[in-house]
Amino acid sequence: MNKSIDKLLFNPIRLKIVSTLITISECDFNHLRKVTESTQGNLSIQLKKLKENGYIHIEKSFKNNYPQTTCSITKKGKRKFEEFFETILTYKK
Amino acid sequence: MDTSEKQIEMISKMINSTKENLQPLSVNFIFWGSLIVGMSLIHYIFPQFIQSTKYSSLLFWTVIPLIGMTITVFYNIKNRKNIGYETHLSRVIKIIWGVFNVSWFLLVIISLLKGVNNPVPDILFLLSTTLLITGLIIKFRPIQLGGFLLMLFTVYINFNPSINFLLVNMIGVTLGMLLPGITLYTSKLDE
Repeated sequence: MNKSIDKLLFNPIRLKIVSTLITISECDFNHLRKVTESTQGNLSIQLKKLKENGYIHIEKSFKNNYPQTTCSITKKGKRKFEEFFETILTYKK
Repeated sequence: MDTSEKQIEMISKMINSTKENLQPLSVNFIFWGSLIVGMSLIHYIFPQFIQSTKYSSLLFWTVIPLIGMTITVFYNIKNRKNIGYETHLSRVIKIIWGVFNVSWFLLVIISLLKGVNNPVPDILFLLSTTLLITGLIIKFRPIQLGGFLLMLFTVYINFNPSINFLLVNMIGVTLGMLLPGITLYTSKLDE
């Protein structure tokens, strides 16, 4: 029997965000925008949803008077990504 | 192609989009290798100038490396900002060299407080272990070899204290840092 799929990661933009963050220590907002190929507004909404559910950690700071957003994955986010990956593998079989 | 296959493909694409770039590390190695070799050469050619007062040599060997450290810290911050992300590997390397910098500074202070004239063997030993660890982590043989050669060098100078430490510095750092740094730089550019 197939496991129930994580609805939060079923969204392509959110899956792209978590897949990027899983391999790296931290990532800037601009880099995430580039790899996810999404608009600033959409990316902000998806990041907020992931943060609210404890999947990612967001740090806001200022560098040379410009706001900077840095994202990193949490332990819960890693666990949820692994579970999601296992689930889609079972669907594939 | 079904949804799960598309998702797997997307995950794979995202993971592959974050590549490890070791070129900034090689630039750091070349910069520090050149700086230390250059400083040793100046000290070797003009000892009367560098050792003109009790503390002039100490100032020479602390102030210039501190300026070098500031330059490399700014370079690395700027570089990290341009790339847009930090990998686990680059974070580990950053921590290792950060600890090296603090340890190097402490060794200089301790030698000053204890009145030890020459902290070079201790600093070179610290450098050799840091190089060896870095080489093993990034799996790059020339840096592993450089660190190992520098380690052998420090063992040798501990049993032969009469040897000129400036020459040791030049040869050791050229073999341990400068040449492996150039090799890493060129090997990354070839890819």
